[in-house]
Amino acid sequence: MSLEQLRRIDETRLEIPLDYKQGMRVPGIIYADSILEKELEIQSIEQVANVATLPGIEKASLAMPDIHTGYGFTIGGVAAFDLKEGIISPGGVGYDINCGVRLLRSNLTKQEVFPRIKNLVDVLYREIPAGVGSKGKIRLSPDDEKRVLTKGALWAVENGFGEASDIEHTESRGMLDGADPSLISSKAYERGRAQQGTLGSGNHFLEIQYVDEIYDEGAANSLGLFEGQMTVMIHTGSRGFGHQVCTDFLEVMERAAGKYRIELYDKELACAPFNSPEAQDYLAAMRAAANYAWANRQCIMHWTREAFMKTLNLSPRSLGMSLIYDVAHNIAKVEEHTVRGAKKKLIVHRKGATRAFPPNHPELPEIYRHVGQPVLIPGDMGRASFVLLGTEKAMQETFGSTCHGAGRLMSRHQAIRKAKGRAIWREMEDKGIIVRSAGRGTLAEEMSEAYKDISEVVEVVHRAGISKKVARLRPMGVVKG
Amino acid sequence: MKRFELIDISGDAGIRAFGKDLDDLFLNAADGMYSLITDPGSVTPQKSIEIKTEGNSLEGLLVAWLNELIFHFDTYGFIGKEIHIHELHDTLIRATVTGEDFDPEKHGKGLLIKAATYHKLKIERKEDHWEADVIFDI
Repeated sequence: MSLEQLRRIDETRLEIPLDYKQGMRVPGIIYADSILEKELEIQSIEQVANVATLPGIEKASLAMPDIHTGYGFTIGGVAAFDLKEGIISPGGVGYDINCGVRLLRSNLTKQEVFPRIKNLVDVLYREIPAGVGSKGKIRLSPDDEKRVLTKGALWAVENGFGEASDIEHTESRGMLDGADPSLISSKAYERGRAQQGTLGSGNHFLEIQYVDEIYDEGAANSLGLFEGQMTVMIHTGSRGFGHQVCTDFLEVMERAAGKYRIELYDKELACAPFNSPEAQDYLAAMRAAANYAWANRQCIMHWTREAFMKTLNLSPRSLGMSLIYDVAHNIAKVEEHTVRGAKKKLIVHRKGATRAFPPNHPELPEIYRHVGQPVLIPGDMGRASFVLLGTEKAMQETFGSTCHGAGRLMSRHQAIRKAKGRAIWREMEDKGIIVRSAGRGTLAEEMSEAYKDISEVVEVVHRAGISKKVARLRPMGVVKG
Repeated sequence: MKRFELIDISGDAGIRAFGKDLDDLFLNAADGMYSLITDPGSVTPQKSIEIKTEGNSLEGLLVAWLNELIFHFDTYGFIGKEIHIHELHDTLIRATVTGEDFDPEKHGKGLLIKAATYHKLKIERKEDHWEADVIFDI
């Protein structure tokens, strides 16, 4: 068990060979170049190997360059399982079911927005509930909550939060079929009642950004992006509702793993055979939580547009704040992939990984068919975020997946210690970034140095060909929980 | 004896709780968790809730107990200050928790905890005390 056992496949990939650990059914593959290789945690490598021991895993246990140690499954992990022999595991999705990102374009430029940035950030901070103990503006009746769970973003649009065209620009049209509200615990219902339309805390954020570099002019054009343009990025998930669903089902799955005699290296890998009632129940509940998250990002986006309209006194038409795309990066989905030359359906777990489908994939909305799926990669609050596109190579190598963010380098306490005596908000302001945060330690914990350099992470997926760079976005204003 | 200390872990937060017996251990684990959420000194005991939770092992029970308290905080904004454990054995805990409704203006805002996890979870009986490690998803 050491780093020396890893074999370099090529410039961007490392292999964990089958003999690394007893019981591995497939090798592990980590996307990392020689720079990111130095930052690999031994524990996260163990986790990639552990996932490779699970029944029915296809091809390889994969990790993206933003890999870091998670619970059971690594963050930045992708694992696909056969529907007959394979399993489904809540740990392969994570507590924040359908945590994800959406990006809005605009007709405004950095120069137009910058003089009003403090004002805008203040209004957004006031209008979008964020942080510990914050209360949402929406109170869902039991019937409404059930509708959120089955309709997702469509529920939001039907209730006046946004426009019908937003749905087209959302992964899975903001709604997974097969969500079953009857499988949700009363606790999850209670917890989700007042959290619809809230940002949360931790690494979740709402950011006002500008396009500072374009790598692919044609693709940027197709996405409606231009240099110097203002964009808004929203990063959040299914909030307490999804956390409760995960908590509830980890218990179910722990019992199920025993019942079906699945040997586990780690309790957080708890899982059940895909066709078992336990697995199907989890899948239906997870889909409900995923839909809750899509409604959540839709509501927050709607209030964001309103805040811009009111603050800048501009019409929706002159603002032009339409949704470019919305991606999920903590989710399990049944998808068709080619394995050993044949097409077959698999259950693909992405935990801290983004779907990156190629041009002409039937899942893509018409307007992006020719370019491929927009991939949105949020960075830390001080550096940058990226827009990329999905590729055919991602389909071949990673079940149509790529990275999801920067990936942490420091623990929260390390970060707080490092930030001691520093005013992070002022350092940010000196760099031209206005930040508002609810939590006492959030800014220190979330400072740039606590994360891997997003540019290096994105460079690796670009060079590996599992997605291609379109544009870089720089933050101007940040709202954190 | 120290009641709890923080565990440093990449991306998340954990606590190591100590206790002279199991009751003490569960109580200190809860206090340790509350200290991550807010400043415990600012909380006053004003109202009580009754908790009854089951788990499929002692470790599982500790996770279930903390998740129950997380549920009450995240759902109703209830933050505990004083805990009385009435019954605690391998798979069941019954307790009264007294505290108040969280007020962002009055109480310090700390971490928003999603869940107590099984990651690196352990409970150990030492010579003269108990110790437990719990990692929280943030």
